[in-house]
Amino acid sequence: MSARQAIQVGTKTVKPVLSTTPGEAKRRVLNLYKAWYRQVPYLVKDFDIPKSEEQCRAKIKELFLKNKDVTDIRVIDLLVIKGQIELKESVNMWKQKGHIMSYFKPTEEPKPKDFLSKFFSSNE
Amino acid sequence: MTKADYYCSVKLSRCRCCQSKFFNESIRMLRQPLTRALALKSPTRAAPLAARCQATQIQPQPDKVEVFIDDKPVYVLPGTTILQATAQAGVEIPRFCYHERLAVAGNCRMCLVEVEKSPKPAAACAMPVMKGMRVKTNSDLTRKAREGVMEFLLVNHPLDCPICDQGGECDLQDQSMAFGSDKSRFTDIHFSGKRAVEDKDVGPLIKTIMTRCIHCTRCIRFASEVAGVDDFGTTGRGTDMQVGTYVEKMFLSELSGNIIDLCPVGALTSKPYSFAARPWETRRIDSVDVLDPLGSNIVVTTRTNEVLRILPRTNEEINEEWLSDKSRFACDGLKRQRLVTPMLTDSRGNLTPVEWEDAIVAAARALRDCPPEKLLVVAGDMADAESLMALKDLANKLGSENVCTEQYFPLEGAGIDLRSSYLLNTKIANVEDADFVLLIGTNVRFEAPLLNARIRKAYVHKETDIALIGPQVDLTYDYLHVGESASIVKDLATGTSSHEVMKRLQQAKRPIVILGADQLKTPEGSALLAYTQELALKVQEKLADKEWKVLNVLQRTASQVAALDIGYKPGVGKLLQSGPKVVYLLGADNGVVSRDQLPKDAVVIYQGHHGDNGAAIADIVLPGAAYTEKRATYVNAEGRAQQTLVAVTPPGKAREDWKIIRALSEVVGERLPYDNLDEIRDRLSQVSPALVNYGNVQDNNYFAQARALAQSLQKPISGKMDVQLKQLEDYFMTDSISRASPTMAKCVQAVLKQKQSSY
Repeated sequence: MSARQAIQVGTKTVKPVLSTTPGEAKRRVLNLYKAWYRQVPYLVKDFDIPKSEEQCRAKIKELFLKNKDVTDIRVIDLLVIKGQIELKESVNMWKQKGHIMSYFKPTEEPKPKDFLSKFFSSNE
Repeated sequence: MTKADYYCSVKLSRCRCCQSKFFNESIRMLRQPLTRALALKSPTRAAPLAARCQATQIQPQPDKVEVFIDDKPVYVLPGTTILQATAQAGVEIPRFCYHERLAVAGNCRMCLVEVEKSPKPAAACAMPVMKGMRVKTNSDLTRKAREGVMEFLLVNHPLDCPICDQGGECDLQDQSMAFGSDKSRFTDIHFSGKRAVEDKDVGPLIKTIMTRCIHCTRCIRFASEVAGVDDFGTTGRGTDMQVGTYVEKMFLSELSGNIIDLCPVGALTSKPYSFAARPWETRRIDSVDVLDPLGSNIVVTTRTNEVLRILPRTNEEINEEWLSDKSRFACDGLKRQRLVTPMLTDSRGNLTPVEWEDAIVAAARALRDCPPEKLLVVAGDMADAESLMALKDLANKLGSENVCTEQYFPLEGAGIDLRSSYLLNTKIANVEDADFVLLIGTNVRFEAPLLNARIRKAYVHKETDIALIGPQVDLTYDYLHVGESASIVKDLATGTSSHEVMKRLQQAKRPIVILGADQLKTPEGSALLAYTQELALKVQEKLADKEWKVLNVLQRTASQVAALDIGYKPGVGKLLQSGPKVVYLLGADNGVVSRDQLPKDAVVIYQGHHGDNGAAIADIVLPGAAYTEKRATYVNAEGRAQQTLVAVTPPGKAREDWKIIRALSEVVGERLPYDNLDEIRDRLSQVSPALVNYGNVQDNNYFAQARALAQSLQKPISGKMDVQLKQLEDYFMTDSISRASPTMAKCVQAVLKQKQSSY
């Protein structure tokens, strides 16, 4: 890539997805978080999942905080859109119990980390 | 046809005017088949890649002649053949009979090229270049000649490529595609059929379909020049010409498998591999052989997690492009008698399969309950450096120093402290430059077949003479047999003997002495080693070439050098008599440790890949990986570290060896500080950097110091020397892999049967 092209790429202005400033993106995230937060009692009740409201709120917080290091506004916006889709699917009961439970990954076993457990679980 | 006529036609298939008596004599005089003696000595081997660089920056050199390959000037040494000159110019000429490691035969005519001002096309493989010669490798005449030869070959060759094992790696297929004509005048309108030849039976390794033979005579030349078996030859002329042994006879050689690789068509194929796979279906993994101490480079061909065959990989320093039969064909032993699951003895004394946890815990308990001085570790002949290192570290952490190998080596004098006293110091490739070879108590032919091939190469091409002290065996070349008594070495070393050998050793410019490590097992071993060191150094001191090393010790196993480098004690001897409570066998299958030598309550832990002698006496069996299943370091007899690569996964629950020891160490409570291969190799390099210096070999030194330390050991010796492998039938089954191999068993049977035959 020639130097001119590099400068062009570096200074390219991109079309915003939704937000134009970081503040706006942050507001959208917080709004989504609040919407999820408010739905928690209904979700627990409607889907009849074996989790308490506290556990669900903790999971929501965990999933939001998983993306805490994302700084690109466009990426944040897309994540917000995806979160809204998820929320809508949950609230409208388009999801089923298993879909909600899959946020908690109940069947996933942690991978062995130390040498001995890797050896015995035939990973090593 | 009389026998003399037959042999005559063997040696001189292209000489029409032979008088058998004269030529047989000249052959004996020259030590080599006449074709070679008459052929031009090629000064350089064709090296296309390096030469191509040379071709781009043309600079005339005074001692070189200029030739023009397709009008491109190339400078080559006088005496180079056209074929080698074209290779330097980057042009490849098709050939069948020409092989760079064999004598030039010039009988396939495929390499015909047009030479300007020459009335007819010339055979490039046999024609030396002349100054200003203009060669046309792609002219109409050249192409017509090639197409004509190819048409003739195909007229006499069956169209059975779909059922031919050579299909996909066949020179005839490839070259008929590249250089052949698109049509043939062979129509067979009378339905008389093609030429057909009866198949020969040359043993259980080589399948012959002689109808496919194109009479290139590569197999004949290999047999007589490299393998030293003069049974192969041609009979008949024209359509009736046949390659074979005249009377039905097995190809009695330890290098016979190489003629399969040499055969450009499917006339000689591998019997165990027949109808097994096509080359494009298989994966090829570069690896290293461990069935003899030389560490020949190999390619392991696999498909669906199964080793199908093993082929040699070119390494000029070790095996050139040959491979011994055991290394090549014992690979079917990797599928038999395998230990696939950990096992423990139950209450009735039978080994029963258990999980890894149970086996490791049982082994750890045995190790923990054992007083350190009662622990004995014995490493076998195919243990890799990583597992040797891990096991020694574990034993040392438990407070024990009793780590030893099965193979003995004297510890008196310099012992194993100086690397030069247990290695092949001359190095394998340099053996062919030697002008006098003294073998002491070794049958090199079966202990290290490719080293013997090197000695034979020197014998045939460089007038090297060989003398042997030890039992008289067939080494495939003439040698001076000095005697069987070990005291001869003493007499030579002390100068009390005026035997011819001593004179030859002193006159030689580059002599070598090779001592078989098996002779050092006896109580007189240390004295024998001391005298051999004395003898070798006495000769070495007087040499003009100060870099030349005379002393060589030929180890018997692939693991011994690495074990000695790491610090294993050679030989179990005294340690076994002290009544160990726990014996840890790391692939020790040679029967050095047996149940009746051990106390009744001793626990035997066996870690290895085959159910052989070691597993038979074990209480706890930990299944390990064979050399095709792990990435592991092996150090060959000259001290060159090389690594094997993973070709297939270990069967069942078997694991890589060093990992088993690492896991065991953690359960014992003495965790070893390495978790992956890089870390354990760092540990290896701490112990000796040579162990991870892959592919290279260091020069050995401190000969004088070793000699000084050995002075006090020069005691009178009187014993007779004996070698373990005397005959070809002894060679095939020597370790746990080859003992499990059905092909090797068939070889032993076939050799014994051949011995009873009157031919």
